Amino acid sequence: MATKTVLLVDDDQVFVAAVSAVLESRYRVQTAANGTQAFEKILQSPPDLIILDVMMDYMSEGFDVAKKLRRDPETKAIPLIMLTGVDERYNFREEVEESWVPCDRFLEKPIEPESLLAEVEALIGSPPS
Amino acid sequence: MIARSFQQIFAPELHGRLVWFNRLRWCAVAGLTLASLAGPPLGFPSVWPSLFVVASVVAAYNLLFLLVVRAQRLEHDPSTLCAIAFCQMVLDLAALMVTIHFTGGLQSPLMVFFAFHMVIGTIMITARWAYLLAGAASLGALLLLTAEARGVLGFHPLVPDSAFDITISRLNLLALIFGVFGIVYLADSVVRRLKRRSIELYEATDALSERTEELHRLLKEMKGVERRKSLYMRMSAHQLRSPLGTIRTVLRVLDKGFVDPATDQGRKMLAGAVDVTDSLLSVINDLLALAKMREGRKHAPWSRDVNLNQLLGDLLDSLAPDAEKRHVALVPDFKGVAVLGWGIPPDLVHAFENLIYNGIKYNLPDRSLTVELRIADEFAVIRVIDQGIGIPEDYLDQVFMEFVRAPNAKHHESEGTGLGLAIVKEVVESHGGTVSVESRTGEGSTFTVRLTLNHIPSEAERLLQTGNGGGYGAETGRRV
Repeated sequence: MATKTVLLVDDDQVFVAAVSAVLESRYRVQTAANGTQAFEKILQSPPDLIILDVMMDYMSEGFDVAKKLRRDPETKAIPLIMLTGVDERYNFREEVEESWVPCDRFLEKPIEPESLLAEVEALIGSPPS
Repeated sequence: MIARSFQQIFAPELHGRLVWFNRLRWCAVAGLTLASLAGPPLGFPSVWPSLFVVASVVAAYNLLFLLVVRAQRLEHDPSTLCAIAFCQMVLDLAALMVTIHFTGGLQSPLMVFFAFHMVIGTIMITARWAYLLAGAASLGALLLLTAEARGVLGFHPLVPDSAFDITISRLNLLALIFGVFGIVYLADSVVRRLKRRSIELYEATDALSERTEELHRLLKEMKGVERRKSLYMRMSAHQLRSPLGTIRTVLRVLDKGFVDPATDQGRKMLAGAVDVTDSLLSVINDLLALAKMREGRKHAPWSRDVNLNQLLGDLLDSLAPDAEKRHVALVPDFKGVAVLGWGIPPDLVHAFENLIYNGIKYNLPDRSLTVELRIADEFAVIRVIDQGIGIPEDYLDQVFMEFVRAPNAKHHESEGTGLGLAIVKEVVESHGGTVSVESRTGEGSTFTVRLTLNHIPSEAERLLQTGNGGGYGAETGRRV
């Protein structure tokens, strides 16, 4: 079984470096700092899972990216984990309810490295070690 | 204060009185009819059919006025209502005269009804018209007496066969004249006092409702302020929470052994966490500075005669190394000398440092940053003109708000608290000035600060006066 690829989309470079280090223990990790970069990476080689931060260039960019991913038949089936601060979820509750993005997991920041790994594993499995 | 005229206040009341007057007249009609019917059997033959005719006429015009008054209900036009009232009074007076004539002329016991008439008249219409009515009553009585005495009109004694007594009639006429004028005078003074009270009451009610409205408005405003404050606090907390979350994640990753802190990767992650800590501290510092400015410090380090040329010149000198590092040419362009009558120099330094440093930060390499100073009328106009990335149009009206950073600014320069321009706005406005921005993406931004040269906040004036023995007043308004 080939190593699976995870695309991590977040504009916080320090956070991306830390989370990449965790994921790299089991997966191949690609990173993107915003929606545009994310779509470029997805077009080049579709990842097996996407981890997407809600708040990037603007307050709800993550939601827009997620909606676009879910509309496109090419990317519709890729498992999606969304990251958010509690406050954002509170702020955007109405927006979320209006156009709920069917992501597979919703994780609150700050995240525990082990629980993120467990979530990713639950969605795409772990490579045989 | 809502000024309400006498007429506006009393029109509805006058309308109410007209309705009441109408009802009262039905009583008079009933009384006259009863008297005309009961008179002959009781030994007063002169009242039939004369009083019955008078009652019928009164009933007829009362019915007419009832319809007129009902039609007037919605309009409440005071002058029309007054005219209607006066017409009724005149007709009533005529009816009374006829009644008097058929019940013994000026010896009639019904003379007492003149008193009713005058009191009602004074209540219904203004004093001037009531005096006119009293005059008309007197003149009518005089004419009646004269006509009866000369035999032009017949004498109809109430008791058959009683003689016409000219002396008693004359005395009665004199008493009537004094009586009607006296009653109008007394009734008017009472009515006048009541009306004044009513006006006072109406004015007090108006003032009270205005006060209540203002209180409601203030309460609403306060609630709005409270809501904005709470939102601001939440935004601030969020701004602090995100970098803290990142630091925690880094520490957790190292702690759980995913990365060895001794390796290059570990060291890089730690250095990144330190950077995040620094930016967290910058946000906290800016938040504190902003809070301090907004609290209206009693002991702010304000001073008189703040020389802007010197302040800006010093700032440009201290920022020169940053500009050099980013290959931005600083161009001072000062025309004239601007001295603020009052200012808080550290705050002004903070504000202009933010503007100029932004100009350096968001400029493109090998471009220039011009700091222009001009005097225009009573203002010092400072323009900070860069040739940098510019601000997208959607963000132009938001850049002075807390925590708002345009995406192109974030991409160009990750460092930034989102509070710098909020501080600029706060400082400029506390100095009685304004700040505005014009920008085109890719071409650059121009920030324009207009400061009033002679602005002195009232609380500062008071404190400076008590602190400096009143020496401040003489120097206000000085321009160098």
